[in-house]
Amino acid sequence: MDPKLTEVAQLFARFKAAYARNDLDACVTLLSQLKVQLTKFPSLPPLFQQTPNAVEELKLARDIYEHAVVLSVKLEDQDAFERDFCQLKPYYMDTCGIIPPSPEEYPILGLNLLRLLVQNRIAEFHTELELLPVKALDHPCIKHAVELEQSFMEGAYNRVLSARQAVPHETYVYFMDLLAKTVRDEIAGCSEKGYDSLSISDAKQMLMFSSDQELHQYITEEHPEWEIKNGSVFFQKAKESQPCKEIPSLQLINQTLSYARELERIV
Amino acid sequence: MAAVATVSSASGLLAMLQEPAPELKLHALASLNSVVHLFWPEISTSVPTIESLYEDEEFDQRQLAALVVSKVFYYLGELNDSLSYALGAGPLFDVSDDSDYAHALLAKALDEYACIKTRVSKATEEEENIDPRLEAIVERMLEKCILDGKYQQAMGMAVECRRLDKLEEAIVRCDNIQGALSYCINLSHQYVNHREYRFEDDALLAYQIAFDLVENENQAFLLNVRNRLALPAPVPSNPDTGSALQDDQTASTGTGAETAGDVQMRDDTTTPNGNAHTVDPNEVAHADRLTKIKGILSGETSIQLTLQFLYSHNRSDLLILKTIKQAVEMRNSVCHSATICANAIMHAGTTVDTFLRENLVVIHFYLLPLHRIAALAISLSHYGVVLQEWLSRATNWAKFSATAGLGVIHRGHLQQGRALMAPYLPQSGAVGGGSPYSEGGALYALGLIHANHGEGIKQFLRESLRNTSAEVIQHGACLGLGLAALGTADEEIYEDIKNVLYTDSAVAGEAAGIGMGLLMVGTASEKASEMLAYAHDTQHEKIIRGLSLGIALTVYGREEEADTLIEQMTRDQDPILRYGGMYALALAYRGTANNKAIHQLLHFAVSDVSDDVRRTAVMALGFVLYNEPEQTPRIVSLLSESYNPHVRYGAALAVGISCAGTGLSDAISLLEPLTSDVVDFVRQGALIAMAMVMIQTNESFDSRVGAFRRQLEKIILDKHEDTMSKMGAILASGILDAGGRNVTIKLLSRNKHDKLTAVVGLAVFSQFWYWYPLLYFISLAFSPTAFIGLNSDLKVPKFEFLSHAKPSLFEYPKPTTQQTTTSTVKLPTAILSTYAKAKSRAKKDAESKANQEKTTEEASGSTSGKAAKTQEKDADAMQSHIFKDSWTPSTNCISCCSKVDNTAEKKAPEPEPTFQHLTNPARVIPAQEKFIRFIEGSRYVPVKPAPSGFILLRDLQPTEAEDLALTDAPSTVAGTTSNTAAAAGQQGSGSSAMAVDEEPQPPQPFEYTS
Repeated sequence: MDPKLTEVAQLFARFKAAYARNDLDACVTLLSQLKVQLTKFPSLPPLFQQTPNAVEELKLARDIYEHAVVLSVKLEDQDAFERDFCQLKPYYMDTCGIIPPSPEEYPILGLNLLRLLVQNRIAEFHTELELLPVKALDHPCIKHAVELEQSFMEGAYNRVLSARQAVPHETYVYFMDLLAKTVRDEIAGCSEKGYDSLSISDAKQMLMFSSDQELHQYITEEHPEWEIKNGSVFFQKAKESQPCKEIPSLQLINQTLSYARELERIV
Repeated sequence: MAAVATVSSASGLLAMLQEPAPELKLHALASLNSVVHLFWPEISTSVPTIESLYEDEEFDQRQLAALVVSKVFYYLGELNDSLSYALGAGPLFDVSDDSDYAHALLAKALDEYACIKTRVSKATEEEENIDPRLEAIVERMLEKCILDGKYQQAMGMAVECRRLDKLEEAIVRCDNIQGALSYCINLSHQYVNHREYRFEDDALLAYQIAFDLVENENQAFLLNVRNRLALPAPVPSNPDTGSALQDDQTASTGTGAETAGDVQMRDDTTTPNGNAHTVDPNEVAHADRLTKIKGILSGETSIQLTLQFLYSHNRSDLLILKTIKQAVEMRNSVCHSATICANAIMHAGTTVDTFLRENLVVIHFYLLPLHRIAALAISLSHYGVVLQEWLSRATNWAKFSATAGLGVIHRGHLQQGRALMAPYLPQSGAVGGGSPYSEGGALYALGLIHANHGEGIKQFLRESLRNTSAEVIQHGACLGLGLAALGTADEEIYEDIKNVLYTDSAVAGEAAGIGMGLLMVGTASEKASEMLAYAHDTQHEKIIRGLSLGIALTVYGREEEADTLIEQMTRDQDPILRYGGMYALALAYRGTANNKAIHQLLHFAVSDVSDDVRRTAVMALGFVLYNEPEQTPRIVSLLSESYNPHVRYGAALAVGISCAGTGLSDAISLLEPLTSDVVDFVRQGALIAMAMVMIQTNESFDSRVGAFRRQLEKIILDKHEDTMSKMGAILASGILDAGGRNVTIKLLSRNKHDKLTAVVGLAVFSQFWYWYPLLYFISLAFSPTAFIGLNSDLKVPKFEFLSHAKPSLFEYPKPTTQQTTTSTVKLPTAILSTYAKAKSRAKKDAESKANQEKTTEEASGSTSGKAAKTQEKDADAMQSHIFKDSWTPSTNCISCCSKVDNTAEKKAPEPEPTFQHLTNPARVIPAQEKFIRFIEGSRYVPVKPAPSGFILLRDLQPTEAEDLALTDAPSTVAGTTSNTAAAAGQQGSGSSAMAVDEEPQPPQPFEYTS
């Protein structure tokens, strides 16, 4: 076996050990070493050179990045997650069967979908979904994310929140917690549009807070434009600050007229 | 299973850029650099990230980041950004890379560098703020070229970038120094404005340079050069001018257009030539040479020679005029003045006023009552009286035009000009000496005679202007002054004209506006805003029109610099100012084919509410495009089918202006339908434009010329034709045979420099729509088509050279015969010609094979035939068709099936010779230039192998006596008039004994008595 490959494999073994004993700091240092080591393999993306150990190397690299993704979830670091996932993706998408599919593939893809949902990046969510083969949609991990998105879109927030109990993979828990926050933001946005004011107790219930304290904190942090007086939350100010966009009728009329005029001018 | 894996996205790499570890960033950058051509759309969204890497001082591979960003910008089409990052990439940017990216950026870098260098050299006080990195790249490029042995490339770049040190290095390091130098000379001929590299100190070359300078017609610049020469600059230049490098430097420093800074340098190129002889003991010879070169620079020498040439080669066809005269209704003043104008144009610069003296008189007999015939018969010898009769018919403005016409005829008659016009000029103190119209006309005529060479006459014109209060005289004087002081920006004259303008008289004000413009041509002075302000103040449309044209003239050639003014004018409420704006666009972007200008003009052509503006906008296209005449018919073809007659008219003139003198087939095809348009003025425009295009093209070159001539005749003879188109036809006949057929309309000089006078002349000419006397401005656009060889004494020696083409292709059109003029309107000749064309086409197909066989036969038969055949290959396809057409006598007859040919001795069955000996000075029309060859082993060798223009000849046998040609100066003694045709036939054979310097006599004066 190639000495370099062995070296990386050993390093990876140490990483796994550290991971197993939950020594996250050691994991991070080892991981960055691993990544640097990986840049020395020409068989990896984007070069994909046909080296004798290509299959081994690709498998190892994929494994490393899969671990990196899971680690980032554990560290609750969304940026790292995105970075690692992007680097992992070519191993799934572009290897064209050089290496056998990984068992972790769908859980991780599902995790990514969930992340996009949490970050409310719905467009990218659907883009990712389109890239998946049809049979992948049946996988519980993917299905979970898709169903969540549907409920989210319908506004069935209670279903979203109750789905936390039925996660298909332990790593999903972190994102499900974050999802509750996203849902709350959505609800807050809807209430703002829907009501002029809400009594504090109603608002508390609506936004799923257990105490007034939490509500107050949420309002000061996220929606400073809301006003609390006489035991109610007033959204009036927020509405005023966002004047309804007027249809640029005059401009449109002008434009249409000028088109007509141009058309009339035959050379 | 396809085992080849390819990356589908760069997102992984982009994500890696975000990694905290610098190694990973580096790896990501390196990988990105290799895939940037595939994934630049993806990478472009992350450009800010990479940019921040580049700006990060601690990141050790900043240059790589810059390179990646540069590539992305290149793919995005942002060449400027790309270049600035490529500069940041430093040595990583590989000049020897063979990718599109490297090529594009190198070109960009060189452009940028050359541009900066040019700017720096123009504005000397400006700090040299060239990016050292840019310089480094260019130097690396040059270095590489030299290392690779691509010396020519290196030299080209060095010249363009004005890096004379590099040029020198390239030449010195080149293994073939001789070759390199000759290439260098070619280069400077081609790219560097009219400048010769000099190897021997030879006064001839100095003269040649001077002639070339004069051809570019920048009066202010020439004056400047002359003034500098006048100083006895005794700085002895290095006598050993054989060291070519020294020369390269003097010469190359002068690159660029006429700017003040440049004058100094250009001066350098001429001064040493003239001064090279200061080291000679022979001071007298030097002084003599200096005088000569001054003479050349003042334009007098060339004008005088041109005058002699035009006079001696005058082949104008008086019968055409006679026909016109016969057909034109005397009462119709429009046609009447058009005839006078046609006469003037036909004889422009020839000093021949035979028509006025002879034919008109005779024809007049038919028109005049009997008792006057008796009177006339008595005074026949006194043509002045007769002319008076003729001119006395001209009333008011027609008289003005008629007198001005004399100016066109005598154009360039510098010394005698004033004497010639003296009888008509306003006499100080003499009250009622003449009509103000003829006086004004005479002042205008003086301007035309001295156009662009008005040093001697300026003062007189100014005085005349000051001493009069008659608006007609002011009108003439303003135009005359403008012409004489063209582009000199003389403050005093400007003030004088401005005073006239402020009298707010419509007639004088119009001329004043134009005159101010002429005076300030191309200066872009702030006077323009003064004029604009007055144009807003005044109530007179004529003044506004004159001023707006004047303003347009001031921005001549200023391109972007003029944009503000153009914008101001084109947005004005007043259509006349918008109309001026069109002219401003036309003149500011003359001959640049600038896309922005074309776009703007097309926009106005279809969207302005005023017909005048639309017409002018289309016409202006002609000015913008005259450097690419092939483009114009294509661009205006749609406009020529517009429903709006004004637009059609504009399209016709646009083609006429930009394709003038080219005989371009496309242009003729476009104009043909317009000559039979339903609207009279469109026909007029089309006829004039057609004449401009076809000028100097004869029937055997393009058979449509014959058809056109017949069409003109038909229109003129047709009693029911509209006046407008009749006038067009008369003028067209004049233009077609302009200057005794020895001139063409040229807007570009031989070294592709704009001819200011010509462009300005045409621009003002196109104003004739409003003011007929402006028709005469067309004479400014005429340039003689001649080869005039000169020896070191600036005399015209006898010298022969070859034209490797059939003489019939370029000969003068056949003179019309008496028969054609006396017979009434011929049978439908148009049908004849189309029939002939159709038949010739059919016949051509059938005979093409036979022809080819014949060609080969003939080629093997005689050496001259062989020469002609190779010549033929050189010629373009269309031309070779004509060659084949006329190869056999039978097709020849059909294609030239005119009544003239049928009656003439053309039936001769023997084939035409395929070449022709021309004798200096000779008529060489532009289409003929490529066939001109110099005979080896002849006594004279041209300094510059140019096929036409003024060429200095080196005498290889200086000891022998020289045989001079063209010594017969134009003489207008009444006795020789009947012999003009014979004199013209002499081809300047030198039989006449008159000395060259002798000036032609002025015609005897006549006076108005009305």
